[in-house]
Amino acid sequence: MSDSVPPAPSAATASAVPTPSGAPPTIEVRDLRKTFYDESRGEVHAVDGISFACDRGEVFGLLGANGAGKTTTLRMLSTVLRPSGGSAWVMGHEVAAEPEAVRRSLGFYSASTALYPRLTARETLEFFARINRYPPERVPERVEELVERFGIGEYQHARVEKLSSGMKQKVSIARTIAHDPPVLIFDEPTVGLDVLNALEMVRVVRRLRDEGKTVLFSSHIMSEVEKLCDRIGIIHRGRLLALGTLEELRERTGRHYLEDVFVHYVTREEGVDVAELGATGELEAGA
Amino acid sequence: MLNRADVWTLYRRELRSAFRERTIVVNSILMPIFLYPVLLWVMFTAQTYIQGLNEGFTSRIALVDPVPADHASVLDSLRGREGVRLRGDPEEETPTGPPDILIESEALALLRSGAVDAVVGFRPPEGAGSTLPGNFRVQVRFDGTESRSERARDRVESVLAGYRDTWVQREAERLGMGVEDRVRFLVDVESVSTSREMGTMILGQMLSFFLIIMVALGCFVPSVDTTAGERERSTWETLMTVAASRASVVTAKYLYVATLGIAAGVLNVTAVFLSVGAVLRPLLQGSGEEITFSIPLAAVPVMLAGAVALALFFSAAMMLLASFARSFKDGQALVQPVYWLVFLPLLLGQQTDRTLTPAIASVPVANVSMMIRDAINGVFLWPLIAWTLVVTLATVALALTGARFALRFEDFLLGSFDGSFWRFVRDRISRRRRTDHTTEAGR
Amino acid sequence: MTPLRPGRGGGVLATILRYELRMLLRDRRTLLIAVVAPLVLFPAWILISRVVERNEERRLDEAEYLYAVAGTLEAWARTAVHEALALPDSGGGDGARAVRFTEVRPPDPDSALRAGDLHVVVHGLTAEEYGALAEEERLEAIERGVDGAAEAEPPPLARALRIRYRAESDFSRGAMSRLREALTDLRRLERDSAFAERGFPVALGDVAEVEDENVATAEEEGGAFLGLALTPFLLLLMLTGGSIVAVDAISGEKERGTLETLLTTSASRGEIVRAKLLAVTVVGVAVALVNGLNLAVYLGLGVLELPASLQMAVSPLRALVVFLLYLPLAFLVSGVLLLVSGFSKSYREYQIYFFPVFLVFLVTALAPLLPGMELRSAMVLVPVSGISLAVREVLGGEVDWLFAGLAFVSTGAVAAWLAILTERTLSNERLISRSELDAADLAGGAALFPRHVFRWFLGFWVLFWVTSLWAGESLGIRGQILVNLVGIFFGGTILLLVRYRLPVREALSLRAPHPAAWIATLVGAPAALALGIGVAEFVNRYVFPVPEEMLEAFGRSLSGPELPLWQLVLFLSVMPGVFEELAFRGALLHGVRQRMGRWGTVLVVGAFFGFFHVSLFRIVPTALLGMILAAVVLFSRSIYPAVLWHALNNALALVPVRLGWIGEDFRLPTWTVVPALAGVAVSLWILWRTGAGRRAAPVPPGPGFRA
Repeated sequence: MSDSVPPAPSAATASAVPTPSGAPPTIEVRDLRKTFYDESRGEVHAVDGISFACDRGEVFGLLGANGAGKTTTLRMLSTVLRPSGGSAWVMGHEVAAEPEAVRRSLGFYSASTALYPRLTARETLEFFARINRYPPERVPERVEELVERFGIGEYQHARVEKLSSGMKQKVSIARTIAHDPPVLIFDEPTVGLDVLNALEMVRVVRRLRDEGKTVLFSSHIMSEVEKLCDRIGIIHRGRLLALGTLEELRERTGRHYLEDVFVHYVTREEGVDVAELGATGELEAGA
Repeated sequence: MLNRADVWTLYRRELRSAFRERTIVVNSILMPIFLYPVLLWVMFTAQTYIQGLNEGFTSRIALVDPVPADHASVLDSLRGREGVRLRGDPEEETPTGPPDILIESEALALLRSGAVDAVVGFRPPEGAGSTLPGNFRVQVRFDGTESRSERARDRVESVLAGYRDTWVQREAERLGMGVEDRVRFLVDVESVSTSREMGTMILGQMLSFFLIIMVALGCFVPSVDTTAGERERSTWETLMTVAASRASVVTAKYLYVATLGIAAGVLNVTAVFLSVGAVLRPLLQGSGEEITFSIPLAAVPVMLAGAVALALFFSAAMMLLASFARSFKDGQALVQPVYWLVFLPLLLGQQTDRTLTPAIASVPVANVSMMIRDAINGVFLWPLIAWTLVVTLATVALALTGARFALRFEDFLLGSFDGSFWRFVRDRISRRRRTDHTTEAGR
Repeated sequence: MTPLRPGRGGGVLATILRYELRMLLRDRRTLLIAVVAPLVLFPAWILISRVVERNEERRLDEAEYLYAVAGTLEAWARTAVHEALALPDSGGGDGARAVRFTEVRPPDPDSALRAGDLHVVVHGLTAEEYGALAEEERLEAIERGVDGAAEAEPPPLARALRIRYRAESDFSRGAMSRLREALTDLRRLERDSAFAERGFPVALGDVAEVEDENVATAEEEGGAFLGLALTPFLLLLMLTGGSIVAVDAISGEKERGTLETLLTTSASRGEIVRAKLLAVTVVGVAVALVNGLNLAVYLGLGVLELPASLQMAVSPLRALVVFLLYLPLAFLVSGVLLLVSGFSKSYREYQIYFFPVFLVFLVTALAPLLPGMELRSAMVLVPVSGISLAVREVLGGEVDWLFAGLAFVSTGAVAAWLAILTERTLSNERLISRSELDAADLAGGAALFPRHVFRWFLGFWVLFWVTSLWAGESLGIRGQILVNLVGIFFGGTILLLVRYRLPVREALSLRAPHPAAWIATLVGAPAALALGIGVAEFVNRYVFPVPEEMLEAFGRSLSGPELPLWQLVLFLSVMPGVFEELAFRGALLHGVRQRMGRWGTVLVVGAFFGFFHVSLFRIVPTALLGMILAAVVLFSRSIYPAVLWHALNNALALVPVRLGWIGEDFRLPTWTVVPALAGVAVSLWILWRTGAGRRAAPVPPGPGFRA
């Protein structure tokens, strides 16, 4: 644990990253950085000073190409990686100082978070509910609820290793929200899914939003982001190039399709040098 | 069906990727070269070291009776014996004067606590011995749980044996007996074995066993990696979709596994052969024994044939079993029982005088072991050697037939199959009846 | 919203533990192979090999032995053998000796023996013949350097029976030993009757008869044997049993991708490690217990039997103490396995590490085999050895509560430390995530060097060891030094410089030091030598006793009597100084310091240096020298003082003895360690102040070549 705990953010102070509603943010990221030391390239800035904040009941999308820094950002938020600079809060808990409290308040789903093959679907849910400190006496009830909600009933007693990928995905999402966390982080959740399963994913995310959860979502698939996200952050080479609702981004760039918006920002970034980027800070300010 | 160029290309690819995989390099190349030389070295170094330690200890002797008056020289012999010190004697200079005599209970307590190594008492003779005037009896008490105590007992007893001899000689001279009369005759032994024969005996026992272990070890990881491992990495399906026939793919894999098995065996035999002399040297030094390690030239092709036959057998059996696994780990578990076969020759005993018999020549693995030992010892029973190879190749053929049978099933071949051996068998049997080979199995 | 109630840590721990065990029980294949099969196979193995062994014994007992008689006194020899074989067995046998021996009369008995047509040949030799033969053999033995050959007394002048046999044949050896026993019996009887004829009152065996008595009871002997064997046996079982879980626990989770899932739950890394540690321990202990019980059942059923002299009687109290002593050991085993699992990125990688780990455990557990090794020594602090010794003493009948407690604490402390280390591997980003791209792998060159440097030096070590093993004898001392220093160390250094395109000056620290560094070296080298000697003596006395003769023999081998002085200085002082420094404090240090902090670098470079001096008792003092020299280079930022220091060290250790200024058995008084320590400290301080310390830069991040 770090000995210097950054002060908890509060909406009352002049926060650099306000939320649309002005309410205290569920996720707040301030100048977050991650530097890998690489023996041949020296320091690699995978995430290079990103700031944003998310509201309750909001779906926030991080859009970026492969290697843009999306996954690293989300992994820092989920406390798998430690930030090299800046800080981030989830439900008011700082990621480096209170990693366990942070993890208790979030569910993290990604292509690399697999399931235990030798547990049954039901056991998986029970395990993750318990280990995330869901009140033990209410675990059976919660598992029941999840089984019903995701339609796992048929195969709840089958081992995960025997399930098809669609079934696995359902169990995986169910385990992510097993402890009913207020914040959900989905890292490229639709990668490798077929159309129907990807649609199912979209449905789940919408429903979670409707329940008042914050969903932080990363993707490189434009249509998905377009369809789902209340606000979009475009990330490239570890920097947040733009942030706003789809409408705002369209307005600013004068392009209609998100794909064009994305290309607009990225080519602009490639064309200008770093000093100039600082001047375009207004893009990051959001609404 | 079988395209030689394809097989060669595939075979080279297998070998190349094998040399880049750490597990395979360690198991098939490094272990064969270093494992046994290192183990032998550690074992023999430790043995000489412990032996040295034991010999270096001074045996601390407690006397509980004074030495009988007529036999004062016993005391001098005890004190004069290197590595023996009586309790109470000064450490530095040669002790003179009477030794300390301890109370028996006290001495035994010291013995139990390890402060002395043996307690020696001089007692009046008993029974028949009492008719000799001046005779006495020596009681040596030691602690059987301590090796240094046993050594102390031996040292005391050797001193007393020497004393007895001089006494008897004195008595004989007094009785006017000549040497011939006193000694009667001497008995001694002499080995006519040459240092070379001893060497081949040791080599025969070691190499025949090591070669089998190493061929099996050399096949182990590659056989699992090239079947279950490919499935795990999902490269199996890629391979099955290339233009080369399945027979070519499987043949290339089989040859590759066998190659590594042979390589492991050959490397191991060479390494052990080169190092065994150096490893044993410090142990033999000073004991006067000489051992020369050499192998008759004719044994080399026999050993090679044995290694090839074994490698073909192990790779066929191991690949067949590993093919049923979906992951590397599962594959290892399945192949393990084949690996246990290597201990067959040990189970059948390692007697030096045994040679191949028709019965032994019919037991796979053990027959090759015996054949190799015979060859190293310079015994070549050609008909039985031929029979050994025939038996081994027959088991190879059996395993290959099994593999061919298994490869006829698509789910198995394509890896969609879920890895349960019994499910596979059950499905085959039930499906046979329905004569339906196309349904997907084991989903 | 669900209230986020912080659950009790115990709940999470129990949950992980429960699920871990449940998953193991579902892995039927692993259970079958790793647990059930040994239960059946292990006793079966013992049983079958005993049957085979007994069969072989019977074969030897029932065999028909063929013998021939030869020599000048052939007729006498034949009668003697006949008479001897007709005697009743003295060893309590069946008295049917004669039945199994058959005389054959080949034309040339000795060549028939060599051809294997018969088992032994008995030669009847006259006194003169035997005397001459014995003298000839004695001279030959002296020539070959057999111990004690020169002092051996000539045998009395009497006719003799010499049994010739083939040592490489079990049958020939069996025939020889049986015949020798019979002939010795005959000789005893003949001598007794000869003496009796002359009126000697007693049998010769009754003269100054020796009877020995073992004060240890059968139970105690059983206990001592059990005490020796139990720890290695249990370790073997705990290691293999614990591995079933350990391999899956972290490395397996990484491979399956579930580790990340687990790490994003609110269970802390500490809880995860503790739960897994517990799981590994539980399974390891369970496997050990089940196997132990299994063996006990077989023993109870009489399927297997122990040698009759070993009666095991362990009182409940002693059993309890032993159990308590094994607790920290069980946790240590699990700790090590889990740590290995944490370091491995996959199931296979774990397997590669398993064998060395296994060997280290086994070797440390065998400490009680060293004669004279007692629990009341510094050994009590060595993790596994302490427990092993304590267990042996407890089973042997003594309980030394204080030191048993110390062993418990020392092993337990190491186990706890390992758990903390494991927890750290779970926070190590390089180890937990598989996705980080190793750009260095693509770039190659100097960037890869730090990652490969250990591999190379391990290779050098193997080469070093193998050449000394395979070719040591034929090379001689100079040849060996040349091969090692110039071939392996210097050649290896050059190879690394070229292969990784390293900047030479930078990599080998070829910079001029501050002038004060030379003074520091002149002070430090003798002090460090004295310190090293002190440490070596401490180690030899308290930790790892080495017999005096061994040390002396080593001293003699080093002072190299056949080398002239200038060669001694060149080969054993100057050349090691230059080449060993270039390799260890040049290339190795360059690689290591890019991976580790200053102290880590010093420790690792020193340890490597120590292990290149293969003799066990030299490892500690040379490692100490290696560490000091590594510090010298790091502090002075130059390799030259280290070269001088090393050369001086070797010269000071050898030359005074060589010139006869001091005797070979010269020993420094113990108190010299104190000024020596001070000297080393002062010297290092000077180097620090005039070198690295002067820059007052934050720890230089290693590779300057990127600049």
